[in-house]
Amino acid sequence: MTSIRRINGPGLMVAALLLVLWQALIGSGLATIEYLPAPASIARAIWSLAAQGQIFPELAHTLGVALLAWAIAAVIGLSLGLLLGCSPFAWRHTMASIELLRSMPSVAFVPVSLLLFGFSVKMELALAVYIAQWLILVNTVDGVRGVTPQLLEVARMLRMSRLERTVKIVLPAAMPVMLVGLRLGLTVSLVMAVVSEMICNPAGLGYQLVFEQRALQTDRMFAYLAVIGALGILLNAALLLVARLIPGVERRGGLAA
Amino acid sequence: MRAVLPRRASRTAGPQSARKTSKVPPLRGVVPFLLFLCLWQLVGTDDSVFYPRPSSWLQALSLLSRQGVLWPATWSTLTTLALSMVVATLVGAAVGYLVGRSPPADRALLPTLEFLRATPAAAVVPVFLVFMGFGRDMAITVVTFASVWPILLNTRAGARALNPVLMDSARSLHLGPWARITKIVIPALMPSIFLGVRVAAPVAVVMTLLVEFIVQFYGVGSLIAAAQRDYASAAVYGLVVVAGIFGLGVNSMVALVESFCLRHHGPGSGRR
Amino acid sequence: MDPASTAAERVAIFPGHGARAVSFECRRVCVEFQLAQSIRRVLSDIDFDVYDGEFLSILGASGSGKTTLLRILGGLLFPAKGSVVKFKGRIVDSPPERVVTVFQDYASSLLPWRSVEKNVALGLEGRTTPAARRQRVAAALEMVGLSEHAKDYPWQLSGGMQQRVQIARALAMEPSVLLMDEPFGSLDAMTKASLQDQLHKVHLETGATIVFITHDIEEAVYLSNRVLILEGKPSTIAKELIVDLPRERDQVSTKESAPYLALRHQIYDFINGLKYST
Repeated sequence: MTSIRRINGPGLMVAALLLVLWQALIGSGLATIEYLPAPASIARAIWSLAAQGQIFPELAHTLGVALLAWAIAAVIGLSLGLLLGCSPFAWRHTMASIELLRSMPSVAFVPVSLLLFGFSVKMELALAVYIAQWLILVNTVDGVRGVTPQLLEVARMLRMSRLERTVKIVLPAAMPVMLVGLRLGLTVSLVMAVVSEMICNPAGLGYQLVFEQRALQTDRMFAYLAVIGALGILLNAALLLVARLIPGVERRGGLAA
Repeated sequence: MRAVLPRRASRTAGPQSARKTSKVPPLRGVVPFLLFLCLWQLVGTDDSVFYPRPSSWLQALSLLSRQGVLWPATWSTLTTLALSMVVATLVGAAVGYLVGRSPPADRALLPTLEFLRATPAAAVVPVFLVFMGFGRDMAITVVTFASVWPILLNTRAGARALNPVLMDSARSLHLGPWARITKIVIPALMPSIFLGVRVAAPVAVVMTLLVEFIVQFYGVGSLIAAAQRDYASAAVYGLVVVAGIFGLGVNSMVALVESFCLRHHGPGSGRR
Repeated sequence: MDPASTAAERVAIFPGHGARAVSFECRRVCVEFQLAQSIRRVLSDIDFDVYDGEFLSILGASGSGKTTLLRILGGLLFPAKGSVVKFKGRIVDSPPERVVTVFQDYASSLLPWRSVEKNVALGLEGRTTPAARRQRVAAALEMVGLSEHAKDYPWQLSGGMQQRVQIARALAMEPSVLLMDEPFGSLDAMTKASLQDQLHKVHLETGATIVFITHDIEEAVYLSNRVLILEGKPSTIAKELIVDLPRERDQVSTKESAPYLALRHQIYDFINGLKYST
C-alpha cells in the first residue's frame, strides 16, 4: 500500500461524516443500540481519564513493555537473522525448525508464559519478545538471502573480505526488508502486550479495557479501545517517519505496509 | 575428463550466476527442534510444573481425548475458524473489489478502513463481548473482523491491477453482469484473493484461539485456558502442540485449495 | 581450427613488436556442468594467451560459452581438472589482483543506495588514502564523461550511463586487465557506438589489456587487435584473426575502409562455412 502523501480530503470527510452520523443518532437518543455510547461521551471519557491522571500510568506500562520487548526482539532477531542469512549451512540446518515454531499460533504461548513467569510484567515481556523476534528474524533472513546474486559477484570480483561484503553490500541491500520486519515486530509487540494484559497481568491498557468491559462502563471501555488503537497507529507512523529519513527507502520497498 | 564441481561459491556458471536461493527450507532443518525435544525428554521429569517432558504431554492429551473433551473442542474450533474464513473471504473480496474498481470509493473509504485495520483485533474482543454475548456468533464476528483485512487489501490491489483489456473483452462479448463476474472477474482475481487468504489464515487461527481463551467459548483455546488455570502444565504444552498442528494444518489446507483453484492459472500468477 | 600455439607464431602475430609479455595463459581448458542426469561439456581444449596491452575480442553465438570463459579468466569460476589458467605466471584460484570484470547486467552490478561517485569508489575503499581515492574517482568519471553526474543515483541514469558508471568503477582501480562481458549488448545503436569509441579511447590512453566478449561481429572487428571465435558443441577456439587496422578508429571511415570490410567478410565467410559444413 503506498502512503497517501497528500491529505485525502474526501476520505477524511467520509470518516468525519460517519462520526457525525453516529453522534447524531445515538447522542440525541434517536436510536439506541444497547451499550453503544455516542462518540461525544467516548471523548469525554478519554478526557476525564486523562484529566484525572488515570490513563497515564497504564499507557506508560503498555507502551514501555511494547517498546522494551521490541528492542530486545530486534537485537535477537537482527543478529540471528544476519547469521542465518549469511550462512547457507546454518540456514539449511535450522530454518525448518524456525518455520515450525513461528507458525504456531502466538496465543498458544500465553499459557506457557503464564506457567513460567506467573502474573507479572515478565510474562508480558517474555511473550512479546518471543513472538516479535520471529517476525524480525524471518524478515532479516529473507532480506539477507534476497540480496541480488550479481552484487555478491561484484564483491567477489573486487576481492572484498567477508566483513567488507557484509557491511557494504549485504546490510544496505537487506535494509528495506529488515525495516519492514522491525515495523511489523513493533505492531506485534504491542498487540501481545495488550493481550497479556487482557488475560493475566493486571496492569496496563489491556487490563483496563477488560475491567471496564466487565463493569459495563462502555464509554470508558471504548475510550481505552480508542487509546490502544491510537497507540498502534502512532507507533507505526513514528517508525515510518524515521524510516523515511533513510535516502531511497521508499523506492526500495522499505515502507511496505 | 571427470565432471567438475566448481570449488568455490558459484555453484552454477550460467551467464548470470544465480545461486539458487530456494524459498523452501530443507527438511533436515527440523533436526535442532527434534534434538531439543529429545534432550527435554531425557532431562525433564513428568511432574515438573514448569517443564514437563514431552511424553507427559502425550499422556495428558490422550487423557483429554478419553474424557471426550479433545475432539469436540477441536471440531468446535475448526467450525468457528472455517465459518469465519468463509465470511471473511466473501466480505473481503467483495468490498476489496468494489473499492479497487472505483477510485472515488477508494479515496472516500480508505482512511476509515485503514483506521479499522490498524486497531489491534484482540482489543476489540471485549467490545464485541458486550454487544454480542458469549456465543459462536460473537466468535465468528470477531475472527472475521480480524482476518478480513488482508483479503480486502489484496483483492483491492488485484482489482486495481486488472487488465482493462479483460473487461473490454467481457463487454464486447455482451456478457451480462452475472456472467462477467463469475467467468471473468472472479477467476482473474483469484490469485490476489488467495494471497490474502494465505495471510489471513494464521491470523484467523490466532484470533479463534484467543477468543476461546478469553471468553471461555468452547474450543481448543478454552481447553488451554482451563488447563492453565489448573496448572496442568503437561496438558498446556500438549494443547500448544495441538494448536501448532492446527496452524500448520490450516495453512496446508489453504495451500491445497489454492493450487486446486489456480491449477489452470499458470506460473507466476500471484504466488510469491 | 587453427589456434596459434607455438611461441614463434605468437611472436609473429605482432610484427615489429618483438616478444610480447603474456597476461593470461590458458592450456587445455575444459568446463563441464553437472546437469540433472548428465554432464554437459561447455568448453573443450581451450588454448590461448592474452597479451599485455592488447584488445582481444572473443566472438561467439549465444550459449557458446564465452561468458563462461571470461568468468574463468576472472577467477569467478573454475575449470575442470587438467586445465591450466594462469595470470602473470600464477594459477588463477580467485579473482586476481589488478583484474576487473565489467558485467553485462549493469543495473544489478551497481549499488542502488550509493551515488555514482560512491559506486565508482567501491573498489578503492580501504586500499588507498581518501585523497588518492577522490582523485582517481574524479579521473575515472572524467574518462567516461560522467563528471557532472557524480552525485546522482544509478536509478536516475539511463542504461548507457549506468554501464559507464560500471566502467568508471573498473577504471578507477587502474587495472592491468579489463574483462568485459557483452557490456554494450543491451544498449541502443547510438549509445553503443558512442560507448565503443569511449572504450577505444580508454584503451589507447591507459594501455590496459582488454578482453571483450561480444556476439556482434562488427563490434569485435571495430574495437580489437585480435579476435577469437568460439564455436562448436562443446565450444573450442575455431578461428583466430589479427585485426590489422590503424590505431585511430572512427565509426564512419574505419567501417568503410577496405581492411575492415575484408576482415568482416572473412568472419562472415567462416561462420557461414561452419553452418554449411556441420
